[in-house]
Amino acid sequence: MLSKKTKSGLIALAVVAAIGQGTLQRTVIFPKWSKDFSIGKFESGGISPDQLLFAMAGFREMIAGILWVRADAFFDQGNYDAILPIIRLVTALDPGEIDVYATGMWHIGYNFTDEEQRSDRRYIPSAIALGKDGYRKNPDTYELYFETGWLWYHKIDDYYDNAVRLFTEAQTKPDIQPARRNLLAMALQRNGEPEKALDKYLELYERAKKNYEADSSFGNRQNMETIEGNVDTTFVRLVQRGWVAKEQGRSTDGYDNSPPHDVGFSAKVTVPEANILRIEGSWNVKPVGTRVRVVLRDENMEHATTGGFDWDYSKDVYLDPPKLATMMQDQLFVKNRRFNRKVDMSKDPTMYPFIQDNYVIEFYYNPRSAPPHIQDKFSWDGSGMTDKNYLNTEIRPGQRVVFASLKISRDMIRRMGEWRDKVPVCKTPNYLESNRVTGLNGEDVVLDIPSLRSSIGSK
Amino acid sequence: MAAAIETTKLTKTYKSRSLGRINVVDNLDLHVEEGEIFGFLGPNGAGKTTTIKMLLGIINPTAGEGYVLGKEIGDIEIHRQISYLPERPYYYEHMTGLELLKFYGSLFGITDQNLFKSLMEKVNLHRDASKTIAQYSKGMQQRVGLAQSLLNNPKLLFLDEPTGGLDPIAHREIRDLILGFRDEGRTVFISSHELSEVELICDRVAIINRGVIERQGKLTELLRGGRIEFVIDGVDEAFLKAFNIADSNVRSLPLGLLFDVPEESDTNAIIDAVRAKSARVISVVPRKKRLEDLFVETVTNKS
Amino acid sequence: MRPIIAIASTTIGEAIRRKVLLIILLIGVLFMVIAPGLGILSARSETTVLKGMMLGIIQLTSALIAIVLTVYMIPNEIERRTIYTILSKPVQRWQFLIGKYLGAVGALGLMMGIMTAILLVVFFLQQASKDFSALAELAKGPAMYFVQMSLLAAVAVFFSTFVAPLVNFFLSGGMYLLGSLFNPFFQTLNDNAKTPMIAKIPAFIINTVLPNFANYNIQNPLINPTQTVRNESIYYVNITAYGIMYIAILMVLGILIFDKREV
Repeated sequence: MLSKKTKSGLIALAVVAAIGQGTLQRTVIFPKWSKDFSIGKFESGGISPDQLLFAMAGFREMIAGILWVRADAFFDQGNYDAILPIIRLVTALDPGEIDVYATGMWHIGYNFTDEEQRSDRRYIPSAIALGKDGYRKNPDTYELYFETGWLWYHKIDDYYDNAVRLFTEAQTKPDIQPARRNLLAMALQRNGEPEKALDKYLELYERAKKNYEADSSFGNRQNMETIEGNVDTTFVRLVQRGWVAKEQGRSTDGYDNSPPHDVGFSAKVTVPEANILRIEGSWNVKPVGTRVRVVLRDENMEHATTGGFDWDYSKDVYLDPPKLATMMQDQLFVKNRRFNRKVDMSKDPTMYPFIQDNYVIEFYYNPRSAPPHIQDKFSWDGSGMTDKNYLNTEIRPGQRVVFASLKISRDMIRRMGEWRDKVPVCKTPNYLESNRVTGLNGEDVVLDIPSLRSSIGSK
Repeated sequence: MAAAIETTKLTKTYKSRSLGRINVVDNLDLHVEEGEIFGFLGPNGAGKTTTIKMLLGIINPTAGEGYVLGKEIGDIEIHRQISYLPERPYYYEHMTGLELLKFYGSLFGITDQNLFKSLMEKVNLHRDASKTIAQYSKGMQQRVGLAQSLLNNPKLLFLDEPTGGLDPIAHREIRDLILGFRDEGRTVFISSHELSEVELICDRVAIINRGVIERQGKLTELLRGGRIEFVIDGVDEAFLKAFNIADSNVRSLPLGLLFDVPEESDTNAIIDAVRAKSARVISVVPRKKRLEDLFVETVTNKS
Repeated sequence: MRPIIAIASTTIGEAIRRKVLLIILLIGVLFMVIAPGLGILSARSETTVLKGMMLGIIQLTSALIAIVLTVYMIPNEIERRTIYTILSKPVQRWQFLIGKYLGAVGALGLMMGIMTAILLVVFFLQQASKDFSALAELAKGPAMYFVQMSLLAAVAVFFSTFVAPLVNFFLSGGMYLLGSLFNPFFQTLNDNAKTPMIAKIPAFIINTVLPNFANYNIQNPLINPTQTVRNESIYYVNITAYGIMYIAILMVLGILIFDKREV
């Protein structure tokens, strides 16, 4: 049996060791472990405890692989709900699975819709969060910077500075594919920096030329020639859209973007049936290619601002959207200077729960997202575009956009209460029930899109 | 002679959920002389092993005190002069007999290879020294156990059921070894319920039942009280009355009357009286008291 | 010291002959040998999956061996009464416990050594570049798992001083799971601003007090060569020191309990 003295000595040793291990765990080991060895954070709703057990047992990469095979089967069956948790699980188990991150971002962001279909926008912050998690854990490859940038560029199609930032980061990685470098120049144009885009193209051209000189394969030649064409086009656009003149302090009179054209926006929203909106209005641009963004959302929606949304708010990847919020975004196609679209939200009550009392309908048009032939008139900065009622230079600082908003109540949307038998109508004050769009003096105003080939001299 | 083991009111109490506190060993006063073979007897569960564990210092007594070889129990120094062979011991089966001795030797710091060999010889296992314990028979395992118990040249050996589960030949081998220990001047403390064995080798015994020592003393003294059995032809029961022989001790056989008297009775007087009556003595047989009788008597009286 | 060494080496000798441990080891080795064939399960380069899977097999097999080896160690000694023969010699109980523990660690080291050798051979054969420094890099995993398993064995030995083997199996296994999962769980809780204090404080205490087996799961940078860790070796020294301190605590507590225990 131990003597009292030995016992107290042992207890003292244990106490010292206990304090030592606790201190070590708290001050050194845990912070370092979290930074370098953690398998990643888990959103509590995303992964069940039994799935977590996998992670502990090693075999992470193998199980990730098996799960991904399963996800593929679910995809074939159309069981999309089953795929999202697998994506998160796979990326958590094997943070090196770049393809799963990329595909997962697409799945979450677009939630299995075609580009033409409306997707559930409430998922987008989660997709962005997955992308961020991906490039932080795989900082040495361009892929996830590129994919996340692409989500900003293409899906969000707004706040292009994010796309520029991520594409720029992707360029620093040695494994980037040559053709994907070009996208940074596109993003720069959308971000209102066409001269930087030109610089980028010139830099890429030098690179492509060197590659071609070293190896005169067809691919290298094609790449070089494509960039050469892009350089030409950008240069011509910079001149024609009055950008060069503006930079040089000259008058932009006579260039394509001058004088600015009034797009004559007006809109009317009716609710012919519960949860179905008919959105009609005018847009005084005849050539096809105009898409006006329309957003219907809770009036006091979290993370929403006037005409905008903080897509980057989520720190965690969530697999369920904020269930109580409603957000619909769609495009209004302009044809014959009018748009007329039926937005049917009656089929998917989980996507559009309509729980709040009040909603706003926002119309938004930014020439930066416009196709080139329309941008030739409006220019990158919207200098060639105006609207006597709805031109807005505040919601996107430094950009001329068209922005209008209407208020609508839940009862109106759901055809309840006083609206049960009455078709609700919300419209801008300038809305006219006519196909005719008139200018200030009542004359017909039609935008004439100049051809790229028309020279400044002929104007 | 000095006492090898001396305990005073040694008590071990366990708490049981259903029965409350139980004294497994209750106020035990043991006295074992140096150089004797002491039998510690009792039915299963009487407290034998608990007592040995207390004497070895493996468990602590709840109350009372005890001395082994003059040192208070619990003193680790005692372990240098004693050894213990548990009941049906198990040894690390992967070891050979010799390796087993080396292992136990190293616990004492003994590395003398000659000692190991001579001990294997002593227990007659020297030809099987390189077999593993798994290949040993039960008797061989018990013998190698005895060999390891001699490693430290102990003054006192505790043997718990040393012949339990062995065949008669193995019994005899073990018995001879134990008797040899006494001749070497060692004290042997045997715990057992194999009474015939104990009776053959022990000098003194104690009988423990339900934690209490019922009897303790020299075997020769404890086994006093045997009877002498007569078969006489030609006497009647009235004749026996003269010797105060109760009717219950008398039976009528075809050969004659059968009766017995205590062993301390004057048997010559009876035979003289029979002769005087010209009756015939068929047989006179001393019926010694057996340890078994004493044991059964002690244990059943109590319960 | 001599009794401790004698008991430890006997324990190793016994452990490496225990059939159940050998079967577990054999299954682990079999899986390791067939692991290269399972590379098809991955969307990524085969060596990544191979490394991850083989390290996982080593870890799981070792954990199972560590627990099965230790939970029966003390109870078996008592049941077979070998402990009495030993404790009736001039051997203190603490020496017995420490000897048994060191023996378990030694046996674990031997078995993990075999698996590590197989890991390196299989990986070397799979590897196109035959790069020896990559092997040394990979061996860090099993090295840290060895500290982890020594800690696990200490947990099981500690519990075996007062609970039955089956209970101990689940207790130690549970501790291993908890200790492996709690770091990520705590990290999530801690980083989430919405976590209430009432959840944070117990989590903080548990993460500080319980043995954190997750500390030794260092496979991330080993499996993913693109991930680099600064001051990697300092971290390894730290977690080894952590393990030794934790083992010391468990051994002291085990000794104090075992000293009082009626055997």
